Amino acid sequence: MGAAGGYLRSVAMFRLQGSKVLAVEMTGDAVKAKNGSMVAYDGQMAFKKLSGGGEGIRGMVTRRITGEQMTVMEVRGQGTCWFADRASEINLVGLQGDKLYVESSNLLATDAGLRTGTTFTGLRGASQGNGLFTTTVEGHGQAAITSDGPAVVLRVSPQFPLSVDPGAYIAHQGNLRQSFQSGVTFRTLMGEGGGEAFQIRFEGDGLVYVQPSERNTIAGDV
Amino acid sequence: MTFQELNSKMVEATVAPGQRLFSQRGAMLAYRGEVSFTPNMSGGQGGIMSMIGRRVANEATPLMTVEGSGTVLFGHGGHHVQVINLAGDTLYVEADRLLAFEGTLEQGTMFMGSQGGVMGMVRGQVTGQGLFTTTLKGHGAVAVMAHGGVIELPITPQRPVHVDPQAYVAHHGDVRNKLSTALGWRDMVGRGSGEAFQLELSGNGAVYVQASEEKL
Repeated sequence: MGAAGGYLRSVAMFRLQGSKVLAVEMTGDAVKAKNGSMVAYDGQMAFKKLSGGGEGIRGMVTRRITGEQMTVMEVRGQGTCWFADRASEINLVGLQGDKLYVESSNLLATDAGLRTGTTFTGLRGASQGNGLFTTTVEGHGQAAITSDGPAVVLRVSPQFPLSVDPGAYIAHQGNLRQSFQSGVTFRTLMGEGGGEAFQIRFEGDGLVYVQPSERNTIAGDV
Repeated sequence: MTFQELNSKMVEATVAPGQRLFSQRGAMLAYRGEVSFTPNMSGGQGGIMSMIGRRVANEATPLMTVEGSGTVLFGHGGHHVQVINLAGDTLYVEADRLLAFEGTLEQGTMFMGSQGGVMGMVRGQVTGQGLFTTTLKGHGAVAVMAHGGVIELPITPQRPVHVDPQAYVAHHGDVRNKLSTALGWRDMVGRGSGEAFQLELSGNGAVYVQASEEKL
């Protein structure tokens, strides 16, 4: 895992300690992490809140408007810093120039070198109960995302598109097109639905992260 | 080994005649053999004086004595359980995190102020631990509860460890702890990073940290 970032510059090393604690080794560099998610550290560390997600004024305004606010802090120092968030499982994602789409609430930590932004997701976002926008992470480095229960990574290839329950979706990366699928029929309207009225359909080439638990969504009720 | 971890949330304890166990009241899940559970008015070891001590210190969790011969399963509230073996050193832990411990351990209460003076008392207040904490000393095993998984971080004189007070579970060994503040003007104006208070642990020993900022 270290080789992934090693050739670039001195990047923070992400390592999982158990499945719920993220250990990051730093040598003077910085990582961005969810506010208050530090559980322990040794060495010297400084914590600074990045207002509005740390994307400058423009990012801050976009985040406010889109409701994809995340309170992020910058951790800089030397030593090891451990992060955890409400005992949720942590997954490491390595990025080599590609883009990771993730809900801001599921993003735990990223390399400071990664850029974060927001994109419009359309109807999919609304069905997930997460609003119409999602967070993107882009660049070279590692990111840690959280999931409720151990996440599975599902591969999508052109021959094998994938449909995912909006409540169980946490993130995706790669060159994927997503569309919104609805299986609303007469029965659903009569209140006899199977509880799976909506799905997100992924087509193309990439990876989708799915958690073994479902958030409360509008779609889950019908 | 008295305690055996069956999975991350349950431990199996072996009880033999003449060996007592203490456990949190109501934490028994199942047992095999002839085992008796006696609620323990004094809330642990020692006489009337230590009982009064614990009451005053608000460290009196209802405990029960487990005696007999057989095996007992313990678990509570779906919390993760960590077994810590003590070899002569002292474990500092909040009483409500104690799931079960061997009768060979000597139980006591410690005044926070005796470690770190006024700052120690402030620390107790800030971390929600109160002014007192429970100590267990001697040779034996302790089962401690935590929300989420637990990691053990070694503390050496060269490597002091800073811990988020809410994620702190317990520590053992010859460890000094103090509350370090990183309060800046940002915290005053509500722009803090959420990491304004930390426990600084230095010396020789280990600290147990849970993967969550939630209390039990």
